Amino acid sequence: MTRRLDAVAGETLGPVSATQVTSQLPPENRATQRTMLRSVTINTVLGAIGLLFITPMLWLLLASVDSHASFGLAWPHFSLINFKHVLKGSLLHSLFNSVVLAVISTAIASVAGVFAAYSFSRRKFPLKGGLLLFILFSSGVPLTIMVIPVYEIFSRFGFLSLLPTAVFLSVTSLPFEVYLMKNFIDAVPIDLEEAARMERASTWQILRRVVVPLAMPGIAAAAIFGFVNAWGSFIVPLILISSNSQQPAPIALYTFLTLPKTEYGNMAAYSLVFCVPVFVLYAASSRLFREGFLLGGGVKG
Amino acid sequence: MSTVLSGTVTAPHVAELWKTRKDKTRFQWSSLALMTPAFGLLIVLFLIPMGYAVYLGLTNLTLVGPDAVKWGFTGTQNLIRLKTDTEFWGSLWVTGFFIAGSIVGVIIVGYCLASLLMRARPWLRVIVGGIVVVAWMMPAVTAGMTWYASTTGGGTFATMIGSPQTNFLDSQPLLIVTLANIWSMTGFAMLVMGAALRNIPSEAIEAAVVENASTWQRFRMIVLPLMRPTVIAVVLLVALLSLANFSLIYIMTQGGPGTATNILPLYSYQQAFSFNNLAYGALIGNVMVVIASIFGVLYVRVAGRS
Repeated sequence: MTRRLDAVAGETLGPVSATQVTSQLPPENRATQRTMLRSVTINTVLGAIGLLFITPMLWLLLASVDSHASFGLAWPHFSLINFKHVLKGSLLHSLFNSVVLAVISTAIASVAGVFAAYSFSRRKFPLKGGLLLFILFSSGVPLTIMVIPVYEIFSRFGFLSLLPTAVFLSVTSLPFEVYLMKNFIDAVPIDLEEAARMERASTWQILRRVVVPLAMPGIAAAAIFGFVNAWGSFIVPLILISSNSQQPAPIALYTFLTLPKTEYGNMAAYSLVFCVPVFVLYAASSRLFREGFLLGGGVKG
Repeated sequence: MSTVLSGTVTAPHVAELWKTRKDKTRFQWSSLALMTPAFGLLIVLFLIPMGYAVYLGLTNLTLVGPDAVKWGFTGTQNLIRLKTDTEFWGSLWVTGFFIAGSIVGVIIVGYCLASLLMRARPWLRVIVGGIVVVAWMMPAVTAGMTWYASTTGGGTFATMIGSPQTNFLDSQPLLIVTLANIWSMTGFAMLVMGAALRNIPSEAIEAAVVENASTWQRFRMIVLPLMRPTVIAVVLLVALLSLANFSLIYIMTQGGPGTATNILPLYSYQQAFSFNNLAYGALIGNVMVVIASIFGVLYVRVAGRS
């Protein structure tokens, strides 16, 4: 656009500054030029921010496929050997521990959460408003700061292992899950539930056959949140799991930094492998949110 | 219902009639059963530990040694120690800088991104939006790892400015960990504020354009007031998440060099598990609980209203 304006200017007016050209052009052209200039600025600034954001990731991407990796930024000697190294032995076992930890924690939080969310959504009981505020409060406050008293309690009962840690992690994501699922259950038309009650369905049947299937996108999104929360947790397993063989992947990742000779390539490859489930699940959950509220069609007339 | 149908109710007492009304939702005992798992867990692993920590903070419990077995209430001894502990006040200051810096950075960069993305070319929107969201999704441990690698001596940033031996984590540790935190939380702010921006009715903006309002006036008079609740909610969530972002800093600097990046959760951990003062660590944890509760209550007031 700028070039075209220059061409116009060169033909008719000789060398003049852009502002002069602008002032002599018809108003709609002036507006177009301003919009173009603005669009170029917007895209340039955005591109620059994007470059700044990707810079810290470059090392991770390049070093993971570089057989001669260091902390420096270098064109990789391409090979997948790092991935081969980290997907075996104790490192693979740590990933497996992470899966166990996250799955158990997600299962507990989702089941307990859906019951509570259902009663918050449909039932009346004393202190309901206050309890809901408490849920909202604890969904914002990071419950991992309770880790020292929990450590003291767990050590007293000999609970410093994988399973109790999974239970504690489920509690750290439970309030947010309840809140999220409540909002989704609120959107399930109550007519469907009343129809089921007419046919003498029990509360359990209504939950299983009506509410859970219809609120499934919300339940799945909440479960994904719980899984990602437990998967990425570092300080909780660090403190609450005493046995080395039960430590999940974040701790294994940290031990890379404590090795006498840093294995740069393996470190980057393991980091990437560790990220994959998170990226996949987030992608899945954004799709769930998009499909989320199509429940209105379930009720006719 | 059954009594009405069988016809045995001739002239029931008014109170009795009220009791059997079926058109109002009443308390059902199954509600209690449904609430028990969630609230049982929250009581046992949140409220009880919270109360227990208050007591622990006022004892002389240690991780190992004689005081790990025989320990007891020591009154205000730990509180007096906390009051004169310069490392604690230093840590509080570092935490304050870390949180405030993160809030300012996340809000400004997040807002700019959200507003630029709406006007940018579609392909650029997908790429840049994607990069920022990936940075947000990355688990804190990985984010810490990749930032450590990029900012340490010989890392990406040092190479880019042309002096490979510069170690940013040594020269500007607090700034770097704050930047890393901003980097990892901006995506969230961008998504939330982007949604709020799209919800601003275009009629309001058009009316302002018709009345010849400048860009700045449109921003100040229309966009800002409508965005206020969202911005406040993001500020509080960033504050809460930063306060507890142990993993990122532990991976990058472990609180160092010296105590330069020793935010409260790290200092609490250090006292409890490196210096074995479990009770003192719990007390510092309680300070964090108080700070988090203030932010939490504000958050409930903002989020609970909408």
